[in-house]
Amino acid sequence: MTGSKKNKKKCLLQVFLLVLPLLLFVISLGIGSYAISPRDLVGTLISTISPSSYPDIPPVYRDVLFRIRLPRLLLAMAVGAALAVAGASLQALFKNPLVNEYILGISSGAAFGAALSLVFLGRSFPPQAAAFLFAILAVLAVLLVAGRGESMSLISLLLTGVIVSAFFSALLSLVEFFASPYVLQALFFWLMGSLALAGWRDLAISFPLIIAGLLFLILFRWRLNVLSMGAEEARSLGVHVQRGKILVIFLATLLTASATAVVGIIGWVGLIVPHLVRLMVGTDNRLVIPLSAATGASFLLLADSIIRGISPLEIPIGIFTSILGIPLFLFLLKKAKRVWL
Amino acid sequence: MSVRVKGLRFAYRNFVLRVDELIFAAGQTTSIVGPNGAGKTTLLKCLGAILPISKGTLFVDSKDLALLKSHERARLVSYVPQEHGSAFNYLVLDFVLMGRAAYVPLFSVPSKDDVRIAEEALEFVGLGSFADRTYAELSSGERRLVLIARALAQQSDILLLDEPTTFLDPRHERQVLDLVRKLAVDREKTILLTLHNLEMALQYSDNMVFLKGGEVVAWGKAEEVFKEPLLRAIYDMEMKIIDWNGRKIVLR
Repeated sequence: MTGSKKNKKKCLLQVFLLVLPLLLFVISLGIGSYAISPRDLVGTLISTISPSSYPDIPPVYRDVLFRIRLPRLLLAMAVGAALAVAGASLQALFKNPLVNEYILGISSGAAFGAALSLVFLGRSFPPQAAAFLFAILAVLAVLLVAGRGESMSLISLLLTGVIVSAFFSALLSLVEFFASPYVLQALFFWLMGSLALAGWRDLAISFPLIIAGLLFLILFRWRLNVLSMGAEEARSLGVHVQRGKILVIFLATLLTASATAVVGIIGWVGLIVPHLVRLMVGTDNRLVIPLSAATGASFLLLADSIIRGISPLEIPIGIFTSILGIPLFLFLLKKAKRVWL
Repeated sequence: MSVRVKGLRFAYRNFVLRVDELIFAAGQTTSIVGPNGAGKTTLLKCLGAILPISKGTLFVDSKDLALLKSHERARLVSYVPQEHGSAFNYLVLDFVLMGRAAYVPLFSVPSKDDVRIAEEALEFVGLGSFADRTYAELSSGERRLVLIARALAQQSDILLLDEPTTFLDPRHERQVLDLVRKLAVDREKTILLTLHNLEMALQYSDNMVFLKGGEVVAWGKAEEVFKEPLLRAIYDMEMKIIDWNGRKIVLR
């Protein structure tokens, strides 16, 4: 009796987590420096389909909604889901809940690639390509230096990640040095992690890439359980470990690079969200991966709404997630010390 | 299914494992014994294709293990590690379910049938009521049983167990070995296990393989090879076998 009750409660929680991003999405549409009341929101949406109804809706509402808010919210959801799923997958692969795309140097590699592309190839060339290329280079460098297979300790992974990130930051400074003042300003804002500049054009390339990456990792979710047993055990269970490893790193890098190329570095989402999800539903990746996608989307929507709601200045969201994420990371690191170092 | 090893070589740093020929007959239990560092675990891991052998062939019936795909091999041979340390604390049933990896398509999740098989395996080792607990809250004896259940869910004919009784008290040691015997008798598995307890090895296995310094010193029917001079030579110490009501006790 209590078992089924517990199951029911668990099921409800899962449904809630899955529906939450949609709920937040609708609410967020009305929030911002240009507030739109719920009635006007519905009115704007309906009047777009049949212009004769709701004649009193100011046309500026439609511009705010469709040109600014809608792409921004979609991007927030996609980026949140992408970063959270990339983090959760990498954690399973490295059988270590502290690993994330930021630690592995993927974020800084992607940021350098995107900046390089923006400065030297211009805004018309999609920055995702270079972001992906350098993100892959960064993660490969980290893995090669940190050691192979079972012998890889968290401490060497962390150290190598820090060093590789520092290297790409230096390269990034070099790019900034060569950038014109006008480009530099945009670059600076973008690097802090910001959804403010998002438009449909940014979405057009990153959105499909993110959806594809999410889809494959969600389909791969149970294999992640098996891979998290460690290479030897996974192999004896019948998994082609090398192939799995390459696939997961490729997809996680694709997700991170696609996100970073348009919004800059939004760090620590891949750490905070999977941890929250595991606290709620346990460690089974069959639940953790899809629910991380949903919760990641909710998390960034919420963070973005808070930012837009509280001040007209719009603090970059990357600063916000770092302020939240780094203390959490330190706390977990301290807690985990005996197990992984 | 029988296992045949021919001309196996495995080298790691300055340790070399050399096995010219070994045959493990179908449906029989074989203990691999020998001092620490003799290469017992290494031999087991080579057989499970967890370690890559540098030379030689491993046949399961007429199939060359090296030519099989990962999932094909895992359907024939399963390996039970000494212990499992994971950063993630899975539910016991989810843990056992991973034994189905060789049957679940790459981009898919286990089916109802897979779950049923995992539940049966857990039932077989006597932990049916533990499905909803987490691995971390189990005792070390229960963990061994869960690891065996996972291998059981793999439904392979050949079962490799790496020191399944280390760190267990005498009662749990017997419980695990009784289970191993039940697997051999009820499920007709070909079982290879490494053991340190010589009396248990003699009592629970049909055949024995004696390893020392990476080489096979003797192998054959347990009661035929289990002799005082061999034990002395293997362990470099005085050892005496005493017959006690038909049971052999090793004095050392």
